Amino acid sequence: MSPLSQTSPALELRAVRKSFGPVNALSHVDFAAYPGEVHAIVGDNGAGKSTMIKIVTGIHKGDGGTILVNGQEMDLRHDASQSQDRGIAVVYQDLALVECLDISTNMALGNLPYRWGVFLDRKRMDAEAAAALKDLNARVGDVRTPVGLLSGGQRQVVAIARAVRMNKPIILLDEPTAALGVQESAYVGRTLDRLRADGKAVICISHDLEFVFKHSDRITVLRLGRTVGTRTTADVSRDEIISLITGAAPADTLQEAS
Amino acid sequence: MSTTATAELAVQTERRDTPRTPILRAVLLRQETWLLAVVVVIAVIASVRNPNFMNPDNLVEILRGSVIYFIMGCGAALLVIGGGLDFSVGAIFTISALVGTSLISQGVPIVVGILAALAVGALAGVVNHLIVTYWHVPPIIATLGTFFIALGLSALITGGNDVVPLPADFMKLGQGSVLFVPNVIWYGLIVGALFYLVLERTRFGINVRAVGGNRQAAVGNGLRVVRIDLVLYVLAGVTAAIAGMIYSARVGAGQVEAGGSSVTLVVVTGVLIGGVSLLGGLGSITGVAVGAVLLSVIDNALIVAQIPPQYNNVVVGAILVGAVAVDHLRRKQLYKPR
Repeated sequence: MSPLSQTSPALELRAVRKSFGPVNALSHVDFAAYPGEVHAIVGDNGAGKSTMIKIVTGIHKGDGGTILVNGQEMDLRHDASQSQDRGIAVVYQDLALVECLDISTNMALGNLPYRWGVFLDRKRMDAEAAAALKDLNARVGDVRTPVGLLSGGQRQVVAIARAVRMNKPIILLDEPTAALGVQESAYVGRTLDRLRADGKAVICISHDLEFVFKHSDRITVLRLGRTVGTRTTADVSRDEIISLITGAAPADTLQEAS
Repeated sequence: MSTTATAELAVQTERRDTPRTPILRAVLLRQETWLLAVVVVIAVIASVRNPNFMNPDNLVEILRGSVIYFIMGCGAALLVIGGGLDFSVGAIFTISALVGTSLISQGVPIVVGILAALAVGALAGVVNHLIVTYWHVPPIIATLGTFFIALGLSALITGGNDVVPLPADFMKLGQGSVLFVPNVIWYGLIVGALFYLVLERTRFGINVRAVGGNRQAAVGNGLRVVRIDLVLYVLAGVTAAIAGMIYSARVGAGQVEAGGSSVTLVVVTGVLIGGVSLLGGLGSITGVAVGAVLLSVIDNALIVAQIPPQYNNVVVGAILVGAVAVDHLRRKQLYKPR
């Protein structure tokens, strides 16, 4: 299945801009991710990858441009809970886990199960967390273990399991393999493969090109806050991506013109 | 998706890495355990020097003395667990009690007077929140500022005079007892139970720990952190107002000199001794209860044992420093760098 044959992108950015005071973090970012594809975003440090993801999730407010979710425009000044409501789940690079809370609480955070209106449904929370982790073949021990006691790889797994458990059509991952060893990276890769098979739109920021080539369908390259090109992974060489990242190859004129 | 057993190993934790803490160890790790030990030691020393210390009347007196600090400590503790801090509680205690008692002494129905006092406490909390959140003043400075403002206003409102006399019906609220237990202790139990439930059993309580434990993560998970902050500052103000009214009813006057910096310091000290972490996220209401009782025991024991009161501050200071050092050790156990 070619993702491009789908008519409507699950998540589309058009000419999104953002500056922090005098610093132009993003000057022109576009890309479109379709259901059932793993769309990688690559770029050098400072290319604007993390800023882009934070604008989509509402941590930062965009200055201009358009974000479309299933073809519907999303306010650039939305907050994090609105992006969840619109069907976007995120795995942040810093994972956004609360160290003093246990695994199951972290997995339900922002959406805690309750009884009688206000009381926490601890049993259901534990059961759901255990089921979600089991479903991903992730065994990180007792769900009542504080996240502060887990290793980096285990925390990454918990963060991914949390995003998967939300069962949203769009999943963004920011550098999911940055802190991981070879086997753990492979595990994350298989998880992405599975999300694609489930028809999710998976957007994965990474500078691990080996990982990107192994698991993505398309690659969008950012350089200095601009989208310089999007390529189908199967039709592009590693060298071409690297020259787009470094600027050795010119950016696609189509995007420069707009 | 096909998975292989070997690949699963990559993310599998061996059981021994994260064992359930054995019960004895868990008990020993709790701050309350050590505080209770300190309480027992002080009690033994005091009763050796003066057998009257163990007199039931004296024990009730100790509990009664702890209630004011405990009730204020509940609100303050929740705020500290949520990553905030309130140094203004001693002054909120004073100003809300003066407003409430003034109204009552002028013939306003007692219930209305009490509600007015709580409203003043809540308003003070809102002001603290606005200064911290929208003016970006660090909590310790913001609430120190409102501390002085509230204390100054208290003196202005009353012209420096205590509010007396108060109606007997109002004083009965602070002096009577039900089922042989003084009302004041009942108030402490009720407020404590409510705060315990809120912190340990509700979604709000978990969200408070999340905000205090890792604010950025809380924001990233869509928690409405500003709203949670607001509720926390309001609760700290309201519990200070409750304590102020209970104290006024107990002593039969709205006192200008009651509250103030000593109450603020004792409440914050009690909260920290009780194992609430200034860094947020960790702490319990039972810890605050033991902390408040400990402070009251020290107060009482030194008097009963006829030890000069100057020693009180020395002992409290030493316990405070020790308790916060222990908190740091607990954190090191709980968080390992990733």
